[in-house]
Amino acid sequence: MTAGAALRFERPSGLDATRPPEQRGTRRDGVRLLLSTPRGHRHHTFRELPSLLEPGDLLVVNDSATLAASLPARRAEAPAGSGSDLGGERFRLNLSTRYGERLWLAEPRPSATQPGPLPGPRPLPAGERARVGRLGQLGVTFVAPYPGLPRLWFVMPDAPLEPVMALDGEPIRYAYLAEPQPLDAYQTVFARVAGSAEMPSAARPFTPELLAALRRRGVRVATLTLHAGVSSLELPGGADADEKVLYPEPFAVPAATAAAVRSARRRGSRVVAVGTTVVRALETAAENGEVEAMRGFSRRFVRAGDVRGTVDGLITGLHEPASSHLALLLGLAGQEMVREAYAAAVAGGYLWHEFGDSHLLLWEPQATAAPRVRHDGGQEVAMPHSGRLP
Amino acid sequence: MSTRGARSRPVALITGASRGLGRTLAGFLATAGYDLVVTARASEALEAATSELQGATAVRALAGDVADPAHRQALADAAGDRLDLAVLNASSLGPSPLPRLAEVPLEALRAVMETNVVAQLALARAVLPALERAAGLLVAVTSDAAQGGYPGWGVYGASKAALELMARTLAAEQDGVAVVSVDPGDMRTDMHRRAFPGEDISDRPVPGVTLPFFAWLLTQPRAAVSGRRFQAQADAWTLAPEGTS
Repeated sequence: MTAGAALRFERPSGLDATRPPEQRGTRRDGVRLLLSTPRGHRHHTFRELPSLLEPGDLLVVNDSATLAASLPARRAEAPAGSGSDLGGERFRLNLSTRYGERLWLAEPRPSATQPGPLPGPRPLPAGERARVGRLGQLGVTFVAPYPGLPRLWFVMPDAPLEPVMALDGEPIRYAYLAEPQPLDAYQTVFARVAGSAEMPSAARPFTPELLAALRRRGVRVATLTLHAGVSSLELPGGADADEKVLYPEPFAVPAATAAAVRSARRRGSRVVAVGTTVVRALETAAENGEVEAMRGFSRRFVRAGDVRGTVDGLITGLHEPASSHLALLLGLAGQEMVREAYAAAVAGGYLWHEFGDSHLLLWEPQATAAPRVRHDGGQEVAMPHSGRLP
Repeated sequence: MSTRGARSRPVALITGASRGLGRTLAGFLATAGYDLVVTARASEALEAATSELQGATAVRALAGDVADPAHRQALADAAGDRLDLAVLNASSLGPSPLPRLAEVPLEALRAVMETNVVAQLALARAVLPALERAAGLLVAVTSDAAQGGYPGWGVYGASKAALELMARTLAAEQDGVAVVSVDPGDMRTDMHRRAFPGEDISDRPVPGVTLPFFAWLLTQPRAAVSGRRFQAQADAWTLAPEGTS
């Protein structure tokens, strides 16, 4: 089977998390957690996580905070200075990645929930002007489309965009959500450094109480930063994950975190990434073999045959068919585990997307012969071994 | 993109700006608000590029050879007192098809070194004061041939290896100017066509593939990038952690 085929599966409709768990009668840590190990797959709830990890295990989390990155915008149709440049066509400008104070990568979209590109003359001419903010208070210039991803543009604002985000920005949302959610719903308990266009959502189920329980269990936590850009989930078919179309995202691995990862490996403890963003940052920072302190921009595509082995486990959401995230899972945990897990998730009615359920993959067999892990509330999952997903 | 705010528009000098990488970069910078000084040997191609660029920004175009001292001085004069960015992109590939070192005429080696090494340093020196006044960035465009030892690429590669070492040394010597080497990677350009005459190079990406890198480079703190060599098409562009650079 080709890697491309392994990335495709059928996800029945109705498995979208259309609102946060807090609005579905549970808590953040009340979402479901599918545990996948070489011994099989079990259903848990997220708050059982401490019992599924071992003392000494290291969780690496992303401390990037989510931006109110979706801005109201309108095209400035009339030439500057003509006094009538507020009448242009309205659209949303979804900011993706901050390169600098005066340069962003951004995605113009017809509306908050409709994918781009903008209707109208295509391609958008370089040099096109627009205004952002409810009152059109800030001008921006479309500088150039991103090579190979023409829905994304380099955009140069006339002044910093942060004040416009503070006044008029909303979290980026997609069509599967029942209604808009406040920015707070998009912040994880680790959020510290503002910069993600889309929430690093794998960490969303963590709560202060759960962190205390993890500490009591002897599980350690280290942080790094990777600012996630836009994913534009509902674009038809998505990008072919075999193609190298990832765009770079800012990341920073602090010295203390690099040291904690190396130390865990030397102890024989597991390094468990919380989110695919963390995997990409650690894999990038291991360009010389071991994880080192590093910062920069990375578009490293982690996939089968391209894995530096920095992590032994991953907590993540459930990913779209044929996505680069799924390619990452296959590369780390292997086709068999991931295909079985996704069959179990679909059969079990798990919920997809940023407010959905969670998945813990531990592909390294445990060192200890007798499992010390108690599976309170965990049920065995009957697994199809046909090699085909439902 | 400028670190100078709205006071005045930043100025960039680009050599080899009529085609390929230089032309692509000029277009990006023009839309991003830079005033441009551009040069190339082919005056017709330069004129065509200039008339396109002039829709977006102020352009001064001077046709000529960077190996000519008078032309270099004219470029430095056109750049003026403050120069934010100088991209040393023009270079000579040498004979095509690429000869093996055992057979290359020594005159060809001398000519490539003159253009790719001597003239580059001379142009860099001519604009250093203006770069220094703007705390600017000097970019030396290099090639993986500088490190490769690829058959046929010895002359060009040796010249680029020398250019890279000069860039690193300049970075260490100059306090007020940042200097980097950039390997743009394989691209679908006239130079590549000359390096592989008769071969289909349509599988190579167009020069626009490097723009995300340049967008990144131009927005980084100058001190953090100075002295470094970057690959524009790499998976990651990394810096030492904060506080150690």
